[in-house]
Amino acid sequence: MNELTIAVAGARKTQGIVEACRDADDQRRILVIAYTQASQAELESRIADVLPLSPQVEVLGWYAFLLRHFVSPYLPLLFPGHSLRGFNYEGEPHRAARDVDAARFLDPEERAYQCNLASLAHKVHEASDGSVLDRLEHIYTDIYIDEAQDIGGWALEILKVLFASKLDVHLVGDMRQALLSTNPRDNKNSPYRFEKVLTWYREREAQGQLKITQKATTHRSSQVIADLSDRLFDPSLKYAATISASTETHFHHGLYRVSPQNVAAYVEAHAPLSIHYRAGLGDEFGITFTTFGVAKGRTVDHVLLLPTEKFRQFLKDGTPLVGKTACAFYIGVTRAKHSVAVILDPSLVADEFTPWKAPTDPA
Amino acid sequence: MIERIIIENYRKFRRLEIEPNSGMNILVGDNETGKSTVLEAINLALTGRINGRWAGDEKNPFWFHQPAVAEFFEKFGTKHQVGPPAIQIELYFTADTDDPDMHRLRGVINSRSEAGTKTDCPGVRLRIQPSDDFKSEFAEYMKDGPAGILPTEYYECLWTNFDGHSLSRRPKALGSAFIDSKTLRSSTGIDYHTRQILDAFLDDKERVKVAIEHRKSRHSLTLGVLADVSKKMGDDGVDLHDDALSLAMDQSSRAAWESDVVPQVSDIPFGMSGQGQQAAVKVALAMHRSSERARYVLIEEPETHQSHTSLKRLLVRIDALAGSEQQVFVSTHSSYVLNRLGLDSLLLLGSSGAVQLTDLTPDTVKYFQHLSGYDTLRLVLGRRLVLVEGPSDEMVFKRCFKDETGADTDDAGIDVVSMSGITFKRALELCALLDREVVALQDNDGSDVADIVGDPELAKHLSETRHMYVGDKSHGHTLEPQLIDANGVDRMREVLKLRTQDDPTTWMPNHKTEAALRILASDETIHFPDYIVQAVHILNE
Repeated sequence: MNELTIAVAGARKTQGIVEACRDADDQRRILVIAYTQASQAELESRIADVLPLSPQVEVLGWYAFLLRHFVSPYLPLLFPGHSLRGFNYEGEPHRAARDVDAARFLDPEERAYQCNLASLAHKVHEASDGSVLDRLEHIYTDIYIDEAQDIGGWALEILKVLFASKLDVHLVGDMRQALLSTNPRDNKNSPYRFEKVLTWYREREAQGQLKITQKATTHRSSQVIADLSDRLFDPSLKYAATISASTETHFHHGLYRVSPQNVAAYVEAHAPLSIHYRAGLGDEFGITFTTFGVAKGRTVDHVLLLPTEKFRQFLKDGTPLVGKTACAFYIGVTRAKHSVAVILDPSLVADEFTPWKAPTDPA
Repeated sequence: MIERIIIENYRKFRRLEIEPNSGMNILVGDNETGKSTVLEAINLALTGRINGRWAGDEKNPFWFHQPAVAEFFEKFGTKHQVGPPAIQIELYFTADTDDPDMHRLRGVINSRSEAGTKTDCPGVRLRIQPSDDFKSEFAEYMKDGPAGILPTEYYECLWTNFDGHSLSRRPKALGSAFIDSKTLRSSTGIDYHTRQILDAFLDDKERVKVAIEHRKSRHSLTLGVLADVSKKMGDDGVDLHDDALSLAMDQSSRAAWESDVVPQVSDIPFGMSGQGQQAAVKVALAMHRSSERARYVLIEEPETHQSHTSLKRLLVRIDALAGSEQQVFVSTHSSYVLNRLGLDSLLLLGSSGAVQLTDLTPDTVKYFQHLSGYDTLRLVLGRRLVLVEGPSDEMVFKRCFKDETGADTDDAGIDVVSMSGITFKRALELCALLDREVVALQDNDGSDVADIVGDPELAKHLSETRHMYVGDKSHGHTLEPQLIDANGVDRMREVLKLRTQDDPTTWMPNHKTEAALRILASDETIHFPDYIVQAVHILNE
């Protein structure tokens, strides 16, 4: 059975995969697919900790998976005379290369372009007349995919193929953190970009290909922060309400608004992780910001956010965010264990946020 | 299980394609047809090694098929030039397996698929081909290099799966054992192949246990006796500047258990035991039930150095274990080995490829197993065969052939084989499957010629190239009366140099071989029965 577990930030997603590997019976042959290099390294070391030297579980990156199990064994069935010699991460094919041309997918040294890899893999699968799947089904019984929210474009077509196989596909992810699926040249499934990929999964569920469960307990953020994160998204998306299981306390906790002239003092007082929407914004404050993309995956005590226009609107009247903005601020908010502060002019409305006062200088 | 073997430009073979049997395979051929080469090639593709060393490090110009090399050099620079020869050895395994490790080797990156026949199966491929990195050097070499010798330093060795991935070590699923006919003459250690066999014999747990205990025992030597010696060195002031000098057992990988543990036969180390024993030990280890890691067993000429009884025991063992677990390839010169292991497992190598006897009736296979002393290889290897009843028929036929054609049968490339109890029907069945040119000469023993030759079980094996001649019963029932009938009693007496009181009619049947010898050596003109003369003429056409 294929399943998608939608887990809130701080729900220990990776731990879930590690435990599933540990508890699998020894007849299962498991492939764990990581979407980023960092998560691949983490999964490898954590699985090695619970299953030392076990040949039962293998961890592969998403690209390595497509190259090794789709493209390499059967490429000549799609493009006779061609053989895979490597991977071209940076390069792009000539614009004129059409879908039927090998040049669209392979550089002159027979290395597969990263930007068209999923599409190539899907084409090879079709040309193989079932061989790709039959081979995979003999090698593995289960596939776990971490960070499922980052799968988009042609990669979703690969998922469809896997769903229809004998393999049990287990996806773990959080659509609210979908920031990465930005292959500008991959227009496949474009209505399902970013957080809308949830719609795609819901459609698969409606067709009986997949079962969706939600894991709504955060072990990181306080309930106040969890509630804020829930309100960022439109209720019609039907995400389960987040429950905080955090038992940690901190003298500085809750939601704060910091007026522009106090930013430096706030940073001085609480050392928050300061996050802006993109590079260049907020330079005038003279503090160090990181972007949402970089902040992803981190856990800190305090977060300081530089709002965008849409986020200010949300603060004012609760209008849910959409698209990349929603994901970005969801990631931003859920980094924090104890407090979330926003930089906001005193003239603007944000009822739930307590104005932060700089400690009075005793001198 | 290996379903197909393709060898290209390797030693004897321009191209050889074999579809081996799932259990036993017996490689048979004339000298120099490449029996051992096939075993070597299979082992090379399975292990990437030759004599224990990486093929890539050992590249040798003489591995290449010499006619291909000659053609390349001859035509180079002409308008008919061809590319430099490249060696390719491919093993195609059955895709019908549940072993996930086999499916990891699966794909269509193989020469059959490249030629347009989609062949999606597990497999390994070893290629030795000109390296793209050295194209210009190769071109330079061709300008003034020693013609006829390939510059293998400009070649690369690629060892890949059918999924296109390079292999750096033997895949887990391809355990094999190579039992070569070379024997070790050394008081210590064992050779690479034997080590591999030994390694496959142990399961993972046993291997670890041996390794740990071996390390411990070395370490305890260091802590024990050697510590005392080291102390003495210190006391005697055998110091190196200010650092203390001591002795310890080597714990590096060179000192791993594999190099210290050797098989013993009746308390005699492997390297010191008899040549026959060594082969027997290797077979016993490789074909033990627990040797599941050795799924492919290659045995070179098991008859070498074996007495008849020990060979018999060895073959029983080989035969019992070949099958579902292990696929076995045996090369042999011995009819006995061939008969015992089953004629249906034969892979006959010739210049044009390999011939198999898969259509042989089980009945006939058993028949030859029981008569395992029979020299079946003469039937198998002979180009043009004359089958006769016994040794006297053989000599008489040879004399007749010489008289009629002026040549010896040997010089004419004709092998005259005595049936020695094998029935013509069985022998002809074998010859028919091998498409041999045959003339059979049989006694009528009182039957009508038409009844003998017309027997449907026998007649179905006869053809344009396979004839049977039988003397008419009116001229006598066997060879001797037929000879007397052709020459007359008096003339026969002269030929045989008998005394006048001796009657050839009674003397000959009692002295068949002696009579035949005298005929063969006789200076007299001899008349031969028609059926023998006809046989000579059909051969001479």
